[in-house]
Amino acid sequence: MWRFAWRNILNRPTRTFLALVGLSIPILGVVGLFSLSKGLRMLVGNTLSQVQGVIVLRNNSPSPAFSDIPADLPDQVRGVPGVKIVSPELWGIAPPIENTNLIARTLSSLGDQQKRMQSLLDTPLIAGQEPVTHGKITTSVYRKALLKPDENGGRYLDERDIGKNHVVISKKYANQFKNPDGTPKKPGDKLKIGKETFDVIGVYHTNSMILDGVLVMNLDTARRVLNRPNGLSDVYVEMTDPSKSAEVSAAIEAKFPDFDARSMSEFQTAFGDLMGQLDRILALTVSLALAVGVVGIVNTMLMSTLERMSEFGVLRTNGWSSAHVMRLVTLESAYLGVLAGILGCFLAMVGTTIANRFLTGGIQLVVTPWLILLGLGLSFVTGTLGGLYPAWKASHMAPMEAIRLGHR
Amino acid sequence: MAMIETQDVKKSYPSGEGLMEILHGVSLSIPAGHCAFIVGPSGSGKSTLLHLIGAMDQPTSGRVIIDGADLTTMSEAQKDIFRRDKIGIIFQAFNLVGNLTAIENVLVPFLPRGITPELRDRATEMLKKVGLGHRLTHRPNKMSGGEQQRVAIARALVKHPQVVLADEPTGQLDSHTGEEIFRILRNLQHESGTTLVVVTHDRRFIQPGDLVLEIEDGLLKH
Ligand SMILES: Nc1ncnc2c1ncn2[C@@H]1O[C@H](COP(=O)(O)OP(=O)(O)O)[C@@H](O)[C@H]1O
Ligand SMILES: [Mg+2]
Repeated sequence: MWRFAWRNILNRPTRTFLALVGLSIPILGVVGLFSLSKGLRMLVGNTLSQVQGVIVLRNNSPSPAFSDIPADLPDQVRGVPGVKIVSPELWGIAPPIENTNLIARTLSSLGDQQKRMQSLLDTPLIAGQEPVTHGKITTSVYRKALLKPDENGGRYLDERDIGKNHVVISKKYANQFKNPDGTPKKPGDKLKIGKETFDVIGVYHTNSMILDGVLVMNLDTARRVLNRPNGLSDVYVEMTDPSKSAEVSAAIEAKFPDFDARSMSEFQTAFGDLMGQLDRILALTVSLALAVGVVGIVNTMLMSTLERMSEFGVLRTNGWSSAHVMRLVTLESAYLGVLAGILGCFLAMVGTTIANRFLTGGIQLVVTPWLILLGLGLSFVTGTLGGLYPAWKASHMAPMEAIRLGHR
Repeated sequence: MAMIETQDVKKSYPSGEGLMEILHGVSLSIPAGHCAFIVGPSGSGKSTLLHLIGAMDQPTSGRVIIDGADLTTMSEAQKDIFRRDKIGIIFQAFNLVGNLTAIENVLVPFLPRGITPELRDRATEMLKKVGLGHRLTHRPNKMSGGEQQRVAIARALVKHPQVVLADEPTGQLDSHTGEEIFRILRNLQHESGTTLVVVTHDRRFIQPGDLVLEIEDGLLKH
């Protein structure tokens, strides 16, 4: 029976092929789109989840780079009971580094797909930190990500850097903005940011595309470079008792209604919500495409069963029950589904592999085994479901009726 | 004892507004192991009667009793099993499955339950008996009409049915091949002791001792 069904779908190669393409493209869509969504999730990484404290920033700011707070807010937050450390920060988009601004970089890399993708995705940011207060916090992302001394990581910002043009850069930028002699930047080398020249004092590597786009420097220097005297984006706050974090955050928000006290997990939740919405849109698109695939399968199977009505009559007169006929036709369309799934997943794997060769900026399309399983499962289910109606039609016909119908 | 018995069988088909009665009350009895011919002009209802005997259609009224079992009271599932186990059928248009080889066509009745080596041997044996031992793996479209009909005969007989029904089995064959087919049919019937019912309008193949049932305008002539 299995082989019989198999042969029946091979019997009409063109039609089978078309039905396969019709269903495999939605499957390709499912796997492709969700691999993108997975890739975006991976991009944000796990680094943030290790951070204990909360960030106080202006309401509705998607990220600190789009927030500004009054200069006296840090001191006021310091007064909230339960608060241990308050470290103000300034974030902003960096001026041209080594005289290359975003547009110039984009233009200069026009011929080069990789660089273009990269330059669009990682706009350099400046983070200005107050070395004294920042030095006290338990989980400083960049301090933790500093390269080991044997990798020439240098040191992190401290009191010695106040008022000086000292910067900690990512390994990515160290490689991107090389020294005139072609070697990557290392501690002790110079880096031009805007019109000013900086000494590189440390190199970090977080392995997250977003986090690796940050130049860390002393707050006052950042204010000058970004041209925001007295500017502040947010305050980073740690509590005396980390387990009371939620209560203290609530107290801060109650006292300063214009500002949000956001934990890192909230940042991630917000991102997760966004991704959830993206996933829902993807799911909707994909189900529309799947519906089209199902129509294709139904059509194919309906045509093939109508054509073979007399054959089903023959089977029936030779002792096949209607359930047997139904099983045969359903099996055929299930085969179609599985084949389409394999084809779709194969195309998706090839497609994402190719796409990933052009996406080197940190975002990668990630095809997980789960996603493959989902693709195969979906196509199997749609194939099978699409075959049910034709199967029912084929089987619920009196044997002689079927034979007569087929002979007309 | 009668293997096949019909009691006042009527059959109507929907036609236009109302019903058209094709069989007007047919009662017959065919003893086990006999060869019966249903003869009559085209359109007289021969095929219709045969389909009723083979549980492929349901009479409008009356009873059809095969080997003591009343088909008219059977459920669809029971009729499926009845057809599978007790009836072998041969049509005018050979009705093989194009996608299956000769031996697979013979094995069609067993496909849903799975093919055992024993069944395969039985089918091979059967094809040898109809003279197709060298054609086991040929597809129908590679065989002549006579060969296809022989495959159909092998398929009808491989399950050792109580009753073999043949609807104009030589209708599409030249007369020489037709004789060949009848020779094979008769041999196998003789060997297996099955009851054979043949619908034909060609009386050449009737032999002394055969039961002849003449049907005209939906009624049996006596
Ligand atoms: N399913 C059907 N619906 C309507 N009329 C039918 C059907 N089957 C057979 N008939 C009619 O019944 C009559 C007898 O048919 P049939 O039994 O095939 O005759 P025969 O086999 O003797 O030539 C014919 O007039 C045919 O048109
Ligand atoms: Mg007929």
